[in-house]
Amino acid sequence: MTALMDFLTVLTQPQLLLLVGLGTFAGVYVGAIPGLSVTMAVSILISFTFSWDVHPAIALMIGIYMGGVYGGSRTAILLNIPGAPSAIATALDGYPMAQRGEAGTAIGVTTVMSFIGGFIGIGVLALAAPFVSDFALKFQPRDYMLLAILGILLVGSLSQGSLVKGIFAGALGIAIGAVGRDPLTFAERFTFDLRLMEGGISFIAVMIGMFGVSEALLQLHHVDKDAVRQKITRIVPSLATVKKHLPLSLQTSSIGVVIGALPGTGGDIAALMAYDHAKRVTKNPEVPFGKGAMEGLVAPETANNAAVGGAFIPMMTLGIPGDAVTAIMIGALFIHGLNPGPMLMIDQPDMFWFIVGCLVAANFFMLLFGLTGIRLFTKIVEMPRSVLIPLIMLLSIVGAFAVNNSISDVYWMLGFGIFGYFMRHYGYPLGPVILGVILSRLLDDNWRRAIISEREDLGRFFEGVVTSPLSLVLFVAVILVFVSQTPVWRWGKSKLFKES
Amino acid sequence: MKRILFGAVAALALTAGFAAAEYPEKEIQGIIQWGAGGSTDTVMRSVTPHAEEILGGSVVMQNMTGAVGAIALNYVAEADADGYTLLMGAENPMLYKVMGLGDRDYGEFIPVSLLARGTPLLVANNDAPFDTYAEMIAYIKANPGEVRFGSTGPGGLPSVVTAMINAVEGELDVIAVPYDGDGPALTGLQGGAIDVMPAVLGAAIEAVRAGNMKALAVVDLTENDKLPGVQSVAAVSPGYATYLPWGPFFGVFVKKGTPDDVVAKLSAAYAEAAKNAEFIELMEGRGFTLMGISGAEADAFLSKWQQGTAWLLQDAGLTKASPEEFGIARPGQ
Repeated sequence: MTALMDFLTVLTQPQLLLLVGLGTFAGVYVGAIPGLSVTMAVSILISFTFSWDVHPAIALMIGIYMGGVYGGSRTAILLNIPGAPSAIATALDGYPMAQRGEAGTAIGVTTVMSFIGGFIGIGVLALAAPFVSDFALKFQPRDYMLLAILGILLVGSLSQGSLVKGIFAGALGIAIGAVGRDPLTFAERFTFDLRLMEGGISFIAVMIGMFGVSEALLQLHHVDKDAVRQKITRIVPSLATVKKHLPLSLQTSSIGVVIGALPGTGGDIAALMAYDHAKRVTKNPEVPFGKGAMEGLVAPETANNAAVGGAFIPMMTLGIPGDAVTAIMIGALFIHGLNPGPMLMIDQPDMFWFIVGCLVAANFFMLLFGLTGIRLFTKIVEMPRSVLIPLIMLLSIVGAFAVNNSISDVYWMLGFGIFGYFMRHYGYPLGPVILGVILSRLLDDNWRRAIISEREDLGRFFEGVVTSPLSLVLFVAVILVFVSQTPVWRWGKSKLFKES
Repeated sequence: MKRILFGAVAALALTAGFAAAEYPEKEIQGIIQWGAGGSTDTVMRSVTPHAEEILGGSVVMQNMTGAVGAIALNYVAEADADGYTLLMGAENPMLYKVMGLGDRDYGEFIPVSLLARGTPLLVANNDAPFDTYAEMIAYIKANPGEVRFGSTGPGGLPSVVTAMINAVEGELDVIAVPYDGDGPALTGLQGGAIDVMPAVLGAAIEAVRAGNMKALAVVDLTENDKLPGVQSVAAVSPGYATYLPWGPFFGVFVKKGTPDDVVAKLSAAYAEAAKNAEFIELMEGRGFTLMGISGAEADAFLSKWQQGTAWLLQDAGLTKASPEEFGIARPGQ
C-alpha cells in the first residue's frame, strides 16, 4: 500500500508532474540534436539541481532521459542523421519512409512503439528487477565477448548490397574504436605519438560526420530539385497496425530490457540487435527492409526505450549503473544524501517506487509530445535544400563541438563526413562502421579479460565456454547466425524445402 | 601600434590592479578529470556549489575524460594562469611520469585545496574460499596462479595495493584481470569474474553492507569505524607500517603562475566549502577522510605521496621509467 502511495507521489504533486513533463519535452529536443546527448544534459542537471530536494531533481532527470532516448529518432527519420547512437537503426527504414512522403506516419509509429517499449521496460523493472539483475550479473567477460561477436555479425543485416563492403566498413569501425590509449594497459594504439590521438576518436563525432555531413554533401547533388512533399494523412497508427506489430514489439522489447540491464551494453546495441531480429523473423514485410519497412522502425524503437527501464534494474537493485545515464543518476542520488547501492531498495523502497512513478509519467508525456507538433516537424523535410544543407552542416559542427567542447572533434567529424560521403558514393554502408566502433572495446576488452583470467590458455577458455550454460547458448547462437549467412546454409535450406 | 600599446598597458594594469580585487569577474571553468558519476565527479560537484557561494561567482564544471586524466591535465596546463581554469582531479597525475603517460604532473600546478583521501579496502567474492586477509594470503600461497585479482591498469589503486602486498608478504602468484575502473571491476567481482578486488572503501561499502561481497581487510594502520570488525592489514603484517597510510585523494588545482591573491581567494573558498555540514556528512558516509589542506602543507603531502608510491611501483617492476630520472627521491633519503 505504501508502495502504491510512493508510486503515485509524482502524479499527485503538480510540481513534480510538471518537472517530468518539462524534462521529457526538453529531452525530445536534446535527443534530436546530434551531439547533444542525454548523458551530457543529465550531468549538467546535477549541478543545476544541487540545491533542490531529491525528488524534483530526479523527476527532471528521468524526464530528460526518457524523452532523449525517443528524440534521437526524430532527426534519424527526417534527415537521416541519428540524434543518438541508439537511433542508427531507426534511420535505415525511417528515412526512406520520409523520402516517400510518409514522415508523419513514420514518426507516429515510432512514438507509439517507443511508448510500448518504454512500458515493457518499466514493467520488468517494477515486477522482476531482482531476477533480471541476478541474471545480468551472471555475464562473465567471455559472455560479453560472445555477445559482441553476435553484434559484429549484424554487419550482415546492416549492409544493404555487398556483404564484402559491409565487412570492410565494420572492420574499419573496429579499428577506429581501438585508437587511443588502451584503457586496460594504457599502451598507445594507432596514435602515431600525437597527443591529439591519445584520447581516442570520439565516436559521436564519427557518427555525426558519417551521417550528418555526408548526407549534406550527398544532397548537394540535387540541390536544385524540389523537396519531397509530405502527405500528412494519418499520424496516430491505426489499432490494426499496432496489433499487427505487437508480437514483434514484445520480442524486441525483451531484447531491449536484457541488453539494457547488462552493465556494459546499452540502448545502442539493443536497437541494432532488435533490428536484426526483426529482419530475421519478418517473413514478408510489406516493403523490403532498408526501403522503408515499418518493422524496421518498430524493432529498434521498442528496444531502445525498453532499455531505459532495463538500465534502472541493476542501478536500483545493486547500485551498479546499467548505462552512462544511470551512472550519473547514481552520483546524483549520492550528492542528495542517499546511499545508492544494494541497500537502497531495502532502506528506502519509496525511492524505487518514486522512480518507477516518474518513468511511467515520463512515458505518457513522451507519447503526448511525440504525437503533437509532427506537422511542424515534417516541414523540416519540405524545406528547400539550399536552406536545409547549411542547417545540417551547422548542427553537425555544433553537435561535434558539444561532445567534449573540443575543436579537434569538429575536425574529426568533418574528416569522417567527407570520408563517409565517398563511402556512400561507392556503395559502402555506413551502419557497420558505427556498429564496429560501438563494439570495438566491448569485444577487445572482454576477450582480453577472459583469456587473462584463464592464464592465457585457449583450452581452458573453451572449456569455460562449453561448461557454462549461458556461454554455451551464446556460442551456439553465434555459430547459428554465422552459418545462416553462408551459401552452404541457403543451399541446404533450398534442398530441404524441395524434398518436403 | 599606439592602440596595441595602450591595450597592453591597460591589460597589465587590469591584471595587476583591479582584476585581483574583483576576482572572479567572469565564469570560472572547472575541468573534471574523470567521467560523470565517478568518485572525483561526485566529490567536485558536491563541494563546488558551496565554494561558488563564498566566491560570489560561478564555476562551470565540465568532465574531460581520456588518457587516465592526462587530457584534462594538459588542457588546464595549456590554459592561461589566471585562475579561471581549475583542474579538479585525483591522484593519478603524480604517477604519469614514471608510468610513461605524460611529461607533466601536479608539480606544474598549485594545490588550491586537497579535499579528501580515501582508504583502500580488500573485498572478495562471497564464494571465495577465504574470509580474512590472513586466510587469503595462505590460500594464494597454497594455490599459486589461481586467485584472480581485479586491476585498473598500471598505476591504478589496485596495482599499488597489490605491489604493497607483494612487498610485505613476498611475491604472490595471482592473476591480474584488467578493468577500466573500479565500478566495472566490482560488478565483475559480484558475478564471480574475479575473486579479490582492492578498491576504495567508498566504492564497495554499500555492497559490503548488503552482503553482496565480503570485506577481507582495510588497507590502513587501524580499523575503519565505517566497517567495524574488519581487521586492518597492519594488524596482521606489521610490515605495512612502512607504506601506510596510503590512499587516493581528490584536489582542486590551478596552473603555476596564477596570481597569489587569486590562489588565496580560491583556497579560502574551498577550505570554507569543505567545512559545510552536508559535504562532511556526504564524505564521511562514504568513508573518505577529510583533509582540506593547501599551500606548503599540500605540497609536502603531494611530494611524500609521490615518492612513496613511485618507488613502490618501481620496486615492483611496474614503472616505465625510474623515479630517479624525474628527481623523485626514495622515501627516507
